[in-house]
Amino acid sequence: MQIERFRVAQFGPRLGTRMEGEGARQQLFALLQSLPDDGQVRVSLEGIDVLSTSFADELIGRTLNPLTTGEFGNRTLILETPMLDLADGVDAKLAQRQLAMLCLVDDAWHLIGTHTPALVETLGLIIDKGHTTTRELTEELGLQINACVNRVARLAKLHLIRREQIGMSGPQAIYSLHSILRD
Amino acid sequence: MHQLTIETIDQIIEWIRGSELDRLDLKDVRFIDPYALLLLHLLILERNEKGRSIDVEWPQSRRVYRWIMAMGMKDLPNFARLQSSRNSESSPLSVKDLQSTLQPITRIENESGIGRVVDGFHHRLADRYPLTETSRRALVAVMIELFQNIPHHSNATGAVVDPHGIAAMQDYEDSIFLAIADKGIGLSASLGLKDGYQGLSDTGALDVILHQGASRFDDPGRGGELRRIADLVRSWGGVFVLRTGRAMYYFDSRGGDVYDVPAFPGVQLGLRLPRSVLT
Repeated sequence: MQIERFRVAQFGPRLGTRMEGEGARQQLFALLQSLPDDGQVRVSLEGIDVLSTSFADELIGRTLNPLTTGEFGNRTLILETPMLDLADGVDAKLAQRQLAMLCLVDDAWHLIGTHTPALVETLGLIIDKGHTTTRELTEELGLQINACVNRVARLAKLHLIRREQIGMSGPQAIYSLHSILRD
Repeated sequence: MHQLTIETIDQIIEWIRGSELDRLDLKDVRFIDPYALLLLHLLILERNEKGRSIDVEWPQSRRVYRWIMAMGMKDLPNFARLQSSRNSESSPLSVKDLQSTLQPITRIENESGIGRVVDGFHHRLADRYPLTETSRRALVAVMIELFQNIPHHSNATGAVVDPHGIAAMQDYEDSIFLAIADKGIGLSASLGLKDGYQGLSDTGALDVILHQGASRFDDPGRGGELRRIADLVRSWGGVFVLRTGRAMYYFDSRGGDVYDVPAFPGVQLGLRLPRSVLT
């Protein structure tokens, strides 16, 4: 998987207005489109002093929106920040948009935006295992298969995991699930 | 009147706009907060634009008079004609006068200039106070959101002549006071551009903005900033005032409510933040 870093500080340390965010988003779109279908962009807040909610929404919220509707294929987006509170604006706006995103602080991951404890639990297990299947998850989480399938479908829709169909079991598709934190 | 503040400026608005007075007596005023100063500034501008300037008798207190001038009232168009003949204080402003202000009245016109304006406010603040990193960042983010609301909303219908806003900031022993004001179309007219929000009263507009995070835009990512800022000020134990048209929402650490006020165009906002939580 090809990973590229998008440094927000290239636009300045204190950001900013929607107009500034819109300009930055055009560059982020171009970077995403330049990657192979399974590529990943890590948006880095290193060097940022202030990130307003408006800028955060224009850059991240309005990129994640088309990403989750499949406009960028299977590409994924991750936020990297030296301090979690720098991502407060992103968190607020993603929650407003009913979206979620993985955020890395050093090597620890956080789910920001809208989420439930059940979603975090399922995502955590997939990240810990690296790759797994819905059946394995169902057993480990002690869930009904349908409940597990729904959680996984939501994570895949948000591009928080990669889901690959590897077969069928009756009417049910069998998926291989992959963490997006590993190459 | 001894104090021109959030609590008293509406009396002046009522006198000037209600009875079309041509003379304003402020000679006994000994304190003016930035919110009241911005409303006074816009009130004088409005009358200038109507070709009926007001004869202002500025405060007799030398300290208050020179602070008002250092804050930028002397830069009002036709200022010389606004001066009452009773005001004899005319010596140039000193460095000390200028240092008595934290951030003089600053004009906000378009979105592209906001970064520069915010940087100016930020430097003034950072030069004077060792703010905590968290509060400094939060305050700068608040300024960005509030300042950009002016080009985004104050002339959303395109009906305003010379659309612009103004902002100023002052420090006190216990607090920092940020004020932003415009005399644009106001919150109800801006929201009224969206289906479902037409015909809202000023009180109704304040209600949906502050409780539902309503916005005139269809994009679900828009809106919610004023509600978030009000929540932040509440968590800091500060004072928050948001005025539009005939309604004003006010709260402090003891609680708050929406009040009827004399009509004035646009949106005016004041944040009084305790220094104890910022520094």
